[in-house]
Formats: sequence, structure tokens, C-alpha cells
Amino acid sequence: MFRVLAALVAFTVLARIPVGFDVGFKFDAALAVIWAFGLLSLVLLTGYVGQISLCQATFAGVGAYTAGLMVAGFHADYLVAVVAGVAAAFVLGVIVGIPALRLRGITLAIVTLGIALVFDRYVFQDHAFEWFTGGTAGWRVDQATMFGLQMDSSKHLMAAYIVLLALFCVVALLMVNLHDSGAGRRLRAIRDSELAAATMGVNLTRYKLLAFGMSAAIAGLGGSFYPLVAGSVSPQPFWLFTSLQFAAIAVLMGVRYVPAAALGGVFMAVVPDVLTRFGHGTFMGRAYDISYDWFQIAVGVLLIVQLIALPDGVWGDLRARALHAWSAAGALGGRKVKVA
Amino acid sequence: MTMLRVRDATVRFGGIVALDGISLDLNRGEILGLIGPNGAGKTTLFNCISGVIRPDHGSILFETNDLTYAPPHERARLGIARTFQNLQLWGSMTVEENLMVPMDALGRRNTFSDALYLPFSAYAERASSERARAILHVLDLGRYARTPAGDLPAGIQRRVEIARALAMRPRLLLLDEPAAGLDAQETAHLADLLHAVRERFHVSMLLVDHDMSLVMRVCDFVYVLDFGKLLAHGRPAAIRDDPKVIAAYLGEESKKPAGDVATVATPREGPPLLEVDRLAAGYGGLEVIRDVTLSVRPGEVVACIGANGAGKTTTLRAISGMIHARGGKVTFAGKDVTGSSAERITKLGLVHIPEGRGLFPTISVEDTLRLVSNTAGHEVDPAPAFDLFPKLRQRRRQLVGTLSGGEQQMVALARAILSQPRLVMIDEMSQGLAPTVVRQLFDIVRVFREQGIAVLLVEQFVESALDVADRAYVFEHGTNALSGPAVELRNDRKLVTGSYLGTAVDATAIAANGNGHHIDPALMEILSVRVPAKVKRALEERAENEGRPAGAVVVELLGKVEDQ
Repeated sequence: MFRVLAALVAFTVLARIPVGFDVGFKFDAALAVIWAFGLLSLVLLTGYVGQISLCQATFAGVGAYTAGLMVAGFHADYLVAVVAGVAAAFVLGVIVGIPALRLRGITLAIVTLGIALVFDRYVFQDHAFEWFTGGTAGWRVDQATMFGLQMDSSKHLMAAYIVLLALFCVVALLMVNLHDSGAGRRLRAIRDSELAAATMGVNLTRYKLLAFGMSAAIAGLGGSFYPLVAGSVSPQPFWLFTSLQFAAIAVLMGVRYVPAAALGGVFMAVVPDVLTRFGHGTFMGRAYDISYDWFQIAVGVLLIVQLIALPDGVWGDLRARALHAWSAAGALGGRKVKVA
Repeated sequence: MTMLRVRDATVRFGGIVALDGISLDLNRGEILGLIGPNGAGKTTLFNCISGVIRPDHGSILFETNDLTYAPPHERARLGIARTFQNLQLWGSMTVEENLMVPMDALGRRNTFSDALYLPFSAYAERASSERARAILHVLDLGRYARTPAGDLPAGIQRRVEIARALAMRPRLLLLDEPAAGLDAQETAHLADLLHAVRERFHVSMLLVDHDMSLVMRVCDFVYVLDFGKLLAHGRPAAIRDDPKVIAAYLGEESKKPAGDVATVATPREGPPLLEVDRLAAGYGGLEVIRDVTLSVRPGEVVACIGANGAGKTTTLRAISGMIHARGGKVTFAGKDVTGSSAERITKLGLVHIPEGRGLFPTISVEDTLRLVSNTAGHEVDPAPAFDLFPKLRQRRRQLVGTLSGGEQQMVALARAILSQPRLVMIDEMSQGLAPTVVRQLFDIVRVFREQGIAVLLVEQFVESALDVADRAYVFEHGTNALSGPAVELRNDRKLVTGSYLGTAVDATAIAANGNGHHIDPALMEILSVRVPAKVKRALEERAENEGRPAGAVVVELLGKVEDQ
């Protein structure tokens, strides 16, 4: 019950934040949730099951293009488009999971990197797949309807944001539930020792494929809203580098924790925009220009600092410290506080 | 009533026949032992039965099911559970969660109902949790339920492994070297535990272990493997007296008269080569050793003995610079090396062979030995090492990782001797090795001494260590409590030598260890003081008043008890 309440509070608070801002920031807010879905998919795959993937943006991209195709090509309701996007991502995830049955660690990373590269350079950009990508211009999604209501990306950005946020809260809640449930324990058992998991009755084939499929579906769920938010789909947001950024930021924020995904999503969407908007001007008489490129450098530096100072990720370590302080305070007050 | 039937199981790894047509029967309710020297094929057979590897030929039947090609989770479903030699608990999960995984895995729950926390998932959750608690209670692990399994000491983790296997409600429990890394007293507890488990949970067991005392105490029936073939099978008593088994397991020299003193220590002259003065060290917030004071003279063999966790390994690490000393002083060859880098200490001629040997598995034997740079800094010729270890000459092209444990230890020793050291520190040389191999290795230590190389040994096999050593230090709770010439410690009436293969097992002399020696329980008491806290406090007070180590007080008191 506490979790449901926390999710509701988070939703209510977060839903109001972008209200006072301009369209640019409203777009950032929606984008933050989309990226948060991508990071959440890694919490499941890497944080829970211990599998490495460097193609999560590809899953999001497949979700985005499938949704774009459904709306622009088949004039489907956006809800149907989302379902199709999630399903497509799920199927691709299961396929990518097949090599993961045999591979682990660095080899699995290379294979998923290869998949990201193939989609980035070939599928999303080649003429052969124009039926899927809508060609160089991509799908234009300005006449979408959802629940029969008009959803114009430029006018109804807030509505899209609210729907995304609500979905994120629900999926995040399910993920937290999953962690402490039987299935979650089986997934975590695979992470800690595959050998023991297999001999203790965990069907590795089934759970690894399921993990890849579900993870891809979560990334795809976020991605399938991209056309609605941006008005169109292009390959750029889902290129290889976004996948790498997912991996880096997931580790930075704490890959085992669901709230870290939300934190990472905001970081990924808002910081570059703030940099491009306010990163130039004059300071003490000297002109400076901090562009988006600085964001990449910042992520790299932060990652190094985090791995040394906060090995469990920003969220993970701060949470541990907070719990520690809380239990210390509890002990002072003569109360026993359980630290889970 | 046959439960498990292995017929003609054959496994080849490349050109090597690891298992050669083994057949085995296990009856319901039986505890079956599987023993044999290193490389005999025990683990291979065990892995065939648990489904980690598939036999090239032959069949494995469990009750009415053909298991030969069934994947591991399928065997789990049929009621076969196992434990692992190299602990495979899910370290980041709590002990309770570790037990709940196999319960859920065999239940009929799915991922989506779990994520939604539907009522029957919640119900199953509570039921699993209750069952887990019940099992933990029986195995006296209740207080660890909420602790992450990875944070527990190895001895407790072994028990958790057994608890986790029981959580599957198995009918057959496969135990892979459950006594590995346990001290004699813990092994004795384990034997009682296994009997209790059979009574309470009605399971049959297949047990693979080096520890003869455990196998002899626990098993109803024993199979002996050697070179992948079945050498003998029968009741423990018969196996124990079987000359074939004794020859295979213990080597040609099967019996050694008790009290035989192989070497009389000649006191070594000259200033100490290594001097350790009130050394303190630890990990993180934990101080593991304090006030360790010891010395090694040139050409002397010194043994450090004591219970698990007494601080022996940490002492070696602090001396060789692998961890930082927090206090005290280490002098080697007249130089103060406290806080020096491990590399510099090695260059001075102090070689440390760590627990686990510190070898590179993917490099060949010959290349490993060539990698040694002597003090002059150029590559060395491995020939002298091959003269010392003819077996290694045969295997010079083989990758180190593919060698047996005993051969790997030989590589580590050969590498040490090639660097022309003045002192070699060897940590747990005989861990996980069969008695024949262990004896060969101890002979090498004698060769070291003959060549004027000093040796500092850390050993679980107290008797063997005392046989070879000139002097010994007894560690207790992070400091060396007792010390003396090895001959005295060995001939002390508290160090009664038993005979091989657990022949002299009686109710109290259970403190046997892996190579079949017995140690008097009184000494075990000193080594791993497990007395009630009240008694311990009184002892410590007395020790402090008299200004002696607690161990010395215990020895005196035990002496008095025995005199009466």
C-alpha cells in the first residue's frame, strides 16, 4: 500500500511541475519520461537479471517507428499504435535474448552493440526499410487521436506528458513489486549465480528470454510515445549513442533502483537542453559557449567520479546513507527501525 | 529400493577419459559416499548426476525417469537438489530469499501475477516465507534470515546451501564437498547435521568429499573412484580396510607408525631472517590481527596453525605487503619492510604463495615458470623446477587452468623456487587436495629446507605441518597465543596421533581432518575455543591477571582436568 501511495504522490507532484514552463521545457518533461522508460528497461535487465545490453535505444526506436507507422500509415488510434509498438519491441527483445542464453559479460555487450549498430545504420536509415521508417522525412504524426480525442503534438504536449507519466508510475510500481516477488527472486538468482539458479529449478531459457522481452517492451513503451511528443520520428534520437548513454546513465544513477531511472530520465532530457539554452553568454567579461557536446564530457566525468565515490549509483548510495541516518536517528530516539 | 541408478557412465574431455563406464546404485533413505584421490572423476560423476554435464555414453535413471539428457531445472522438478563446493549462494539476496527461490520456481506462479501482486501470489509469498523460516529454524539459521547471504562466513554459508537445497523438498540431496574449508569441529557438527537432516526431511544423499572422517561417520555405503574407474564399493568399515583403497588414496606408504618422528629439528643459528613485531592488520573496519610477534631464521620451517579465522592468512598478507599493516614492524633480511610494496618485498627474496595459488589459468606451465624473473631481472630456465617436479615436465605445454589442484600447487611451488627466494610463505598448501598429493607437497617443503630456503607455512592439516616444521605458532583470535618447537607440540600428549582413514573414530576424537589424522579434542578446544561466554571471560580475566596468553591458561587447565 505504501508503494501505491508513493506512486500516486509522485504522479501528482510530477504532473504539475512542467505547467508553468514554456513549450520547450514541456517537451523536455515528456522526453524525460521516454528516456526514463529506457533506463527502467535497464533496471530490469541489468539491475535485476544481470544481463548487459547496449541496444536499449534500438528497442525504443522500434517502438517509435512501429507507432509512427500505425498512426501515419494505417490511421490507427494512438492507443493501438502504442500496443503495436510495445509488441514489436517485445518480439525483437526476445530475439536479441536468444544469443544471451549462451553469452554473458563482454561478449553479450558486443553482440547487443552490433544489433544497435545494424538498426542505427541500416534499418532506421536505409531505403529498403522505408515502409517501416517512412523514408528520410520519417512519419509525421500531427493528426493523432487517443481515446478518440485529438492529440496534436504542438497543442497537447501536456496531455501526452500526463499519459506518459501515469504509465511510467504504473510500470515502475509493477517493477518494484516484481523485485520482491517470486519471479523477481528468480530473476535476481540468475544475476547472482546462473549455475545455482538452474539447479534450483529456475528455467534459465524462459526467464532470460522473458527478461529481454519485458525489458525491450518497457523501452518500446516509452519509445512508442516519441512520435506523439515530437510530432515525427527520426533515426537520430535512437541511434547507437543513445543506447550507450542509457547504459552510462543507468550505472551513474544506480542500475538496481527503479527511482534512479526517473532521476536519470530527467538528467538525460533536461540537462542538455539547459546547456544549449543557457550555456552561452558572458561571464566576467569573457564570452563562453557550453554546447550539448559538453554534456557527453560531463557524463563521462560524472561516471568516473560516481564509480569511485558512489559505487552503487547516485540513487543507491544516497538512499543507503539516508536509511543509515534514519536508523541512527531512530536508535537515538529509542525506537527500533528496520533497514530493509 | 533403488532410487538412483547410474549405468555405464562415460565422459571424455578431449583425449582424457574422465569417467570410464561407472555404474552406481543409490537406495532410498541411504547416504552414499563417493570418494577418491584428486582427479579420480568424482566431480565429473557428480556433475553428470546433477545435470551440469552430459555423459558421452551410459544412462542415469532416477526412480522411473531417464535423466541422462534432462536439463538441471528438470531434475530439480523431479526432486534432486544439490549444494556446491565453491559456495553458489545468491549473495545479494537475504538467506530467506535464497530459500524462497527454489520454492517459487517449483510452484505455479508467473511473472505477471507477481508484478501485480495478485491475491494468490501474496498467499504463496506468505506460505513460502513461513516454510523458509521453518527450515532455517531446524538448521539453527533462524537469526540469519534477513542477512544478505554473501555477508555470512563460509561455514554458515555451507549450512545455508544445505537449507536452500532442502527448500526444494528434494528426495535426493547431492552434496559436493560440504566439508571443504571447514575446520575439524565444524566438520563434526556437519556430520551430526546431515544425520538430523535425513531424519527430519526424509532425504537420501550422495556425498562427495575428501574428508574421510566425514564420509566414514556419515555414509552407509561408499564408492571409491580412481582414474575414472570404480575401484571399490562397500560399507565404510570394509572400505577403510581395503588395501586397494588405502594404496590408491594414501599412496604406497599406507601406514605410518604413530609417534614416528621424521625429522628432529636442529636449532638454526644466526639472526632471524624475518622478524615480525606486534603486527596489526585488518580489512575495512575490522581488525583481524593484532600483536602478532614471530620470527623465522634462515633455512627454518615454521608453521602457523589455528582455527579458521584466527588470523593466519591475514598475517601472511600483511608480511608480504598484500595488505597494509596498521601497526607493528616487519623486518626482512635486516631491512624494515613495513609498508613496502609487495613487489619490493618479493625482490628482497620473500615469496608469498597465496591461498588459491595465484596462478594464471590461461598460460602454459612452461610460460608460467619462464615468467619468473630472478633478482638479476632476466628470464630463468625452468629446467631445475622440472627436475624437482618431473610431472610438470610432462605437462609443460598444458595450460595451468587445466591442471589438477595438486599439479597447480606444484606449479606455484616451482615458480617460487625458481625465483631463488630466501623465504617462501605458503598459505593453505594442501587445501582441497588428496592425502597422497599433500604428502608429495610436504616432501617438497623438506627439499626447500635442504636447499636453505626458509618456509613459513599456514596449514589446516596440523599434523602434517608439525611433521615438517621446526617450530610452530598457534594462532587464536587474531594473535599467536602459543609457540614452541614443532617436536614438542607434536609429541605433546595433547596431540595424540590417530591412524589413517578414521579407524580410531570414537565419540570424542571426532576432530579429524582431511588427511586422516586425528587431533586430540583438547587441542581443538585451544585452536578454536568454543566455550561459553562466561567461561571465556573468566579465562581472559585470569590470563590478564597472570600476564599470559589465554591459550596457555587453557592448556594448563586442561592438563589439570586430565591429571584428575
